[in-house]
Amino acid sequence: MIAELYERCLPMVGISTTEHLDAVESLAAERFAVAAGAQPSDDPHPLFLSSVMGWHAGPDPGELCPDGTTEEFVPGLPLSGVRLMGAGQDLEFHEPVRVGADVTLETTLTDVELKSGRSGDLLLLHLTRRYTADDGTLLTTCLETFIAR
Amino acid sequence: MNDPPPLVFEPTTLQLFRFSAATWNSHLIHYDRDYAHTEGYPDVLVQSHLHGCFLMEVVRRWADGRGELRRFSWQNRHFARPGDVLTCSGHIVDTEDDLVSLELEERNQEDQVCATGSAVVALTHNGKDGS
Repeated sequence: MIAELYERCLPMVGISTTEHLDAVESLAAERFAVAAGAQPSDDPHPLFLSSVMGWHAGPDPGELCPDGTTEEFVPGLPLSGVRLMGAGQDLEFHEPVRVGADVTLETTLTDVELKSGRSGDLLLLHLTRRYTADDGTLLTTCLETFIAR
Repeated sequence: MNDPPPLVFEPTTLQLFRFSAATWNSHLIHYDRDYAHTEGYPDVLVQSHLHGCFLMEVVRRWADGRGELRRFSWQNRHFARPGDVLTCSGHIVDTEDDLVSLELEERNQEDQVCATGSAVVALTHNGKDGS
C-alpha cells in the first residue's frame, strides 16, 4: 500500500497549491500561545502559522479519515488511510507576522522518499510552505517532513 | 554570553487537548488513548509541533530583549506522553557578527532524547553587550 502511495505521490512532486488563510486573528494566536505554554508576546508565536493543521472548517466528522485526520491535510495529496506523523520543521523567519496580517500559504511537495523501516515501508513527505502577506512580502518559509505509514 | 537556562515542561492531557484545539488538529492519537494503543503507543502523544514549541521557548525567553529569532528547526526523535518531564536545553555553538547559533535538545525523565533542534538569533544593539 505504501509503495502504491509512493507511485501516486511522485507526479505531485513540484506542484504547488495556494490557500488564502484570511487575517491572523488575535484570539486564535493568543490561544495557541497559551496552549503551547509560551510566554505572552505582542506578536503571534513564531510557530503559530506552521502548527495549524487546518485553516478552514474542514469536512463533516463522517468524512474524516479513521485516525481523525482530514484528507485536506496536504491539499491535493492522496493521503487517506495512512498514518501520518510530523517529523519536524525547519523555519526561516523573514518578517514578523502581525495580528491582522492577511496571509496566503503556498504549499509544495518538494520530495517524496520510500524507505524500509523496522515496522515496514514508510514514506517521507517533504513539504515547503511559504507564508506571504497580501502585498507579496515573504513572512515565513517552513520546510516540513511528515512520515506516512 | 551564557547559554539559555533550561526549561522543564510537564505536558498534561489538558494541554494536549488545548493544543489540538488551537491548531485544529483532530488526529485521535493526541486525545484518544484507545486509539493510541492501536498504534502501539502506551498513551496519547505530545504533538510534534508542541515539542517544537517547548524547544523554541528556551530560545524565545533567552532572546527576549537580546535579539530576533531568524531561524529555528527541530526534529522529533522519540514520542512523549502526558506525565513525562521534558527538559529543554540550549547551547550556544557559534557567534558570528551579530548572529548567534544555538543547538537545542529535549530529554525526558529517562534521559531519552525526544527532540533536537537549532536556532539562529540576530542580536540587536542592546543584546550585544548582554551576558
